[in-house]
Amino acid sequence: MVTYIVRRLVTAALILLGASFLVYLLTAASGDPLAEFRASSAPNKQQLMDSRSALLDLDTPAPVRYFKWLGGAAQCLVPFTGSCNLGKNIAGQPITDALGHALIQTLTLVTGAAVLAILVGITLGIITALRQYSTLDYGVTFMAFLFFSLPIFWVAVLLKEFGAIGFNNFLRNPEIPLPVSLGVGAVLGAVAVIVAGGDARRKALTGAIVFAAVAAVLIYFSVTQWFKTPGLGPVVIAIAGVGIAFAVTLLTAGLRNRKALQSALIAVGVGLVLYFVVQPLLNQATFLMVVLLAVAAVLIGMVIGYFMGGYDRGQSMRAAAITSFLVGFLIVLDRFMQAWPAYFNNSRVRGRPIATIGAGTPNIEGDFWILGLDSFTHLILPTTALILISLAGYTRFTRASMLEIMNMDYIRTARAKGLTERTVVMRHAFRNALIPVATIVAFDIGGLIGGAVITETVFSVRGMGFLFLDGILHVDPNPVMGVFICVAITAMAFNLIADLAYSALDPRVRVKA
Amino acid sequence: MSQPSQQDEIMAEEAGLRQEAAGIEPVSEARGLSQGQIVRKRFLGHSGAIVGLVVFAVIFVMAFTSVGYAGIPGWWKYTHEAVSPLVNDGAPTASLWPLAWGEHPFGQDRIGRDLFAMTMRGAQQSITIMVVIGLIAGLVGVVVGALSGYFRGWMEAVLMRLTDVIIIVPALLLAAVMAQLAGRRDEGSWFASFASSNGVLALGIFLGLISWVGLARLMRGEFLTLREREFVDAARISGASNARIIFKHILPNAVGVLIVNVTLTMSAAILTETALSYLGVGVKSPDTSLGLLISQNQEAFATRPWLFWFPGLFIVLICLSINFIGDGLRDAFDPRQKKFNAKKAKDADAAIPEKTPVAALDSRADDGRTAGGDRGA
Amino acid sequence: MRFSRISKAVGVAAAAALALSACASTNGGTTPSSNAAGKQGGTATVVEVNAFNTFNPNTADGNTDINSKVSYATHSGFYYIDNQLNIVHNDKFGKMEKTSDDPLTVKYTINEGVKWSDGTPVTAADLLLQWAAFSGYYNDADADGKAGTSYFSYAGDPTGLALTDFPEIGDNNRSMTIKYSKPFADWEIALGGPGIDIPAHVLAKKAGLADTQAFIDHLKSMPRGDAKAPKTADAKLKAMSDMWNTGFDSKTLPSDPSLFLSNGPFVVQSINQDQSLTMVRNKDYNWGPEAKLDEITVRYIGSSPAQVQALKNGEADIIAPQASADTLDQLKALESQGVTVEQGNQLSYDHIDLNYSGPFADKNVREAFMKTVPRKDIVDKIIKKLDPEAKPLDSQLFVPAQPAYDASAQANGSSAYADADVDGAKKLLNGATPEVRIMYNKDNPNRVDAFSLIRESATKAGFKIVDGGLGASDWGKALGKGGYDATIFGWINPGVGVSGVPQIFRTGNGSNFNKFSDPEADKLMDELIVTTDRSKQDDLSKQIDKKIWDSAYGLPLFQSVGVDAYSDRITGVKFMPNQTGVWWNFWEWAEK
Repeated sequence: MVTYIVRRLVTAALILLGASFLVYLLTAASGDPLAEFRASSAPNKQQLMDSRSALLDLDTPAPVRYFKWLGGAAQCLVPFTGSCNLGKNIAGQPITDALGHALIQTLTLVTGAAVLAILVGITLGIITALRQYSTLDYGVTFMAFLFFSLPIFWVAVLLKEFGAIGFNNFLRNPEIPLPVSLGVGAVLGAVAVIVAGGDARRKALTGAIVFAAVAAVLIYFSVTQWFKTPGLGPVVIAIAGVGIAFAVTLLTAGLRNRKALQSALIAVGVGLVLYFVVQPLLNQATFLMVVLLAVAAVLIGMVIGYFMGGYDRGQSMRAAAITSFLVGFLIVLDRFMQAWPAYFNNSRVRGRPIATIGAGTPNIEGDFWILGLDSFTHLILPTTALILISLAGYTRFTRASMLEIMNMDYIRTARAKGLTERTVVMRHAFRNALIPVATIVAFDIGGLIGGAVITETVFSVRGMGFLFLDGILHVDPNPVMGVFICVAITAMAFNLIADLAYSALDPRVRVKA
Repeated sequence: MSQPSQQDEIMAEEAGLRQEAAGIEPVSEARGLSQGQIVRKRFLGHSGAIVGLVVFAVIFVMAFTSVGYAGIPGWWKYTHEAVSPLVNDGAPTASLWPLAWGEHPFGQDRIGRDLFAMTMRGAQQSITIMVVIGLIAGLVGVVVGALSGYFRGWMEAVLMRLTDVIIIVPALLLAAVMAQLAGRRDEGSWFASFASSNGVLALGIFLGLISWVGLARLMRGEFLTLREREFVDAARISGASNARIIFKHILPNAVGVLIVNVTLTMSAAILTETALSYLGVGVKSPDTSLGLLISQNQEAFATRPWLFWFPGLFIVLICLSINFIGDGLRDAFDPRQKKFNAKKAKDADAAIPEKTPVAALDSRADDGRTAGGDRGA
Repeated sequence: MRFSRISKAVGVAAAAALALSACASTNGGTTPSSNAAGKQGGTATVVEVNAFNTFNPNTADGNTDINSKVSYATHSGFYYIDNQLNIVHNDKFGKMEKTSDDPLTVKYTINEGVKWSDGTPVTAADLLLQWAAFSGYYNDADADGKAGTSYFSYAGDPTGLALTDFPEIGDNNRSMTIKYSKPFADWEIALGGPGIDIPAHVLAKKAGLADTQAFIDHLKSMPRGDAKAPKTADAKLKAMSDMWNTGFDSKTLPSDPSLFLSNGPFVVQSINQDQSLTMVRNKDYNWGPEAKLDEITVRYIGSSPAQVQALKNGEADIIAPQASADTLDQLKALESQGVTVEQGNQLSYDHIDLNYSGPFADKNVREAFMKTVPRKDIVDKIIKKLDPEAKPLDSQLFVPAQPAYDASAQANGSSAYADADVDGAKKLLNGATPEVRIMYNKDNPNRVDAFSLIRESATKAGFKIVDGGLGASDWGKALGKGGYDATIFGWINPGVGVSGVPQIFRTGNGSNFNKFSDPEADKLMDELIVTTDRSKQDDLSKQIDKKIWDSAYGLPLFQSVGVDAYSDRITGVKFMPNQTGVWWNFWEWAEK
């Protein structure tokens, strides 16, 4: 195992060396660094060109420059000296600084999108696999491919027009006309009919319920101007909590496991009591506190499950822990909603909360909740755009993987043993289907660091993609190399992790040392 | 993650392959039919794929006959470069009711070029890029994958390290270099002169030369599995040459994976071209491509939407149809995949006597080294 | 994102000051009263394309539009330039006067009370620093840069100040006098404005000098650099120039406030790297036009559609996107929600130049080709949507905003090429079918479209047009190297500036890419650059213009159009043709 890892690392270093040399030469060959001066007729044109040449050291041949760069970059390998020298860009900023900043920008932009895309993609993939060749399957496949085919700058323009400008206009007077409420209800009802399983009667019933519920909620929102002063309140949290308890129990333990269901329901009850207790605490919230509260919520759930016990204590604990985590999430969501009017009327936001550009409102001041909302309103559009286009991959993989697993012998064995369909899907199929998906996720995370060039461009986020592109446009190898090194190292590291994880997850695969 | 790349898909496929299904079940529809017949039958039964095929065929024929190709004139009265007086301020003249085609069905751009002709020319270019990438990536991928998977040893080591290097070199950078070379025509090298007269072909070749890596890894995996199979041993014992084993025995068995992934690479190629043209390193005007058209006209989104919608529509149509064709091919070529119905499966399973899972795992253990070898190499 | 815009902007800014020289007429010493409507206080958000990266916008590498604009808002000087291209003197800051014509002598006096935001008065030392940097006085690097030293890496044109001797400092460090060895047409904008941006006392301290006096003394003790006899670099001056060149570079707000001192209406308050920059009012400032807004935030957005949508969504108040018919239409559609759109001509123009070699060695062929250029059609299709009044540009040296334009356009013979004359061209060609390779920047849609239209028309007359377009990074390199017969590109500065004129049109000069050569024109140009009298300058320019047209040089096509727009919250924004853009009167911006 250790030999294997060492060998992989050595190979990786050699590959990195070779590829970085190639990238350096390519960047140096990709254009004319003096282009901006060529058409100038300034009398001191030559001097300007000379100074740029000196800055970029153009008189030295590119291969030699690469080794100069490598000399500086090699210092980064020496730990604790802090003498990491990746050169400077044309604007004179050290690349290490620029990279640090760009990395933060990129991670803020892509992390949420990646997590959501993976969650939604896997869920959709499993559902479509379980209903292969149904209307739902075709519908999801079509939508996934459609979004995959859309150019992202187009998606971005549309999202800005309707998601930001349109929605902000709507917020000025958030009344939903009755026909719209009914129409949205009807559409979602129709979707529910397609999604729901079972016979025609059950489908129709589901559709009708969804239609009624959606229309009613929209009318309620309109009447109470909910979008201006949103909130969940204890009642909604209670109702939603009970729903969550049932759903979580169904997925993790099965409703027949009464103890698990009871644990989950108790967790909801405790959550409701805590709702009132933590409100004053939440007013002083910091990020760390919210994380600690989340951990606490999970622990409380586990304790509840532990004391409820039952024939399978683990299942109860799991159900209660997940439920209490989700109820905790609802409480935090509610607190964010309470902060919404203050954010909405902030003098820097001026009643147009959803933003089309940037990562935050300049100079905005406020507590954790206001700043959190500010990030949310800025990230929602790019995140949506990224999710839409990256959903297709995950959905298709999970579907393919799940289909393959569902045809496996051990699944048949499981069924033959008389296990419920839930157990077969959740315990036997789902976990194994995730193994190949996990490798993909690892590869993707490696690639994430590279940033989303076009998304960054249209949403004016200056992350890694921008740094890279800007470097190429100015024929400035240093930023290009900086981004490349970051991306390549993460990619290779995650590649290794993926391989190791794979052998850990799948006992049939053995790492050959 | 700017675009979900087909690369990922191929990698996942590769990952999936490592845990191949245990015993391959006898497929009832296979009785008395050759592999080709089964595939055809299954493909034709995939309605999405058929629709995709028809749509693609229509677009293909329209694109290549309307404005002509390679000097052969087409039936449409304008070419993508011809400037004509603005009709109706450039708005589309086509209408659904009364059904009329008009002078400029898709409208005109600001200097009066016919958008229908430009869109058709763009579709030609995009299809060309797609096919070139598919061919090159397929060819190189198969050769590299087959050689390293079949011969292993130093050949595998060298080829796979080469693959690793190429996989981490950013495509955008390569495209920028490529665009730079293609735009440089006074240097007189053969490449520059070729690239300047066949911009799109050069771009396709270039992209093809970097997008084979995923496919090569995948084909190598296939070859690693297949070369250990009994029929290969049989062929080797009966004195078949390496070339014969590779081409006659192994390749036909890997062709399913190959075709499927080539189609997927192709559909990703169109989007790559779009993205590159948007970033200014793809096809250059006055020649045109679908990606270039929408990126040039993105500002016209609100004011002259037809400049944006028609090329966009064609990108989406081509991409969708290729994806559906690929999807159909995947289903058709995968002998394990059959219509799965949870309820039916349960009933059927209850009826059919169980195969012992132990045997299944044993048979797996034979291929187990495939995956292990994969890592160890 | 419009890359063309970025690279253009960089080039443009370098030339901005020059461009003004010819158009700027003196508006002798008036300080305009800012009486526009709007209340005191409030905030505004302005959109820029590039991200801020240095507090010294004069260096070759820091000279991007955004750095210059931030510097403009945070510094003041003896003059600024208004949107009529007049030089407006700021008498509250100090006095700049010509004390003698022969030799040309200019005296700068800074008023009492003008101070940096750390309380240090602004003195002649600050002006001396600017002079030392701008004049290149101490540089002794030889032509190949092998020996000697280039101290200050100044982005602008040093030719004017290079004619001066070491200045005389007097009046208790309040005044400075410089003497030119030859008359210099653009003396008014050579020094002292629009902002004196680098504080000498900070530079001196950071470079290890005792105080400002030591700084002055050291500069005084140094002789003029001689490129023919390079010396070893002076350590102190090198330390100073290094500080000037890179010491003020920062993408974030430096922890040391002396690095971003202000002596203008605003002072930088915070910088969010690559996202935004915020300036607040400089409380002490009263030596010049006083700002109405309390705070200006600059946000960076690259793409024009994103800028328009940001304006529409209220995230931006003032934008100046790259002009295109579609952007303009989108902005016009926003007028219903109170957005004001302004457009006007910029100082750059596109033109087609014919090489005096190859098929165009024959003047008849050049004339025939010029006759086929559909100038009216090009303007109609490319520019009319932006500016309904647009007409083909009819002069190689003037733009319509200049008074001499009309007279010159009438006399120079441009009327022969008002519109395409295919028959006339055919007659001149007399059955010949010359092959013409046209080079242009393929990444600039205007040039691509102009090329398409010219090809269409020229082919009708019998020319065989070869598409010689090159990518953005290559076309500039190919200029002047041959390999083409005609080229479409844009001049940003010198076509409208006196010192730039010989640069393009004089025999053998650096930017004379098509090898135009006319001894009489050369003589006129030699006279032009030492002429300080404006009307005489115009006369000479008119004669040169005619010579150029007579020799069938090529054709100017159209002037670029600029657009800006601002939301209904804001008032006081006015269009400006030069690179300062809407910023030129930022002090008049106000909330409604």
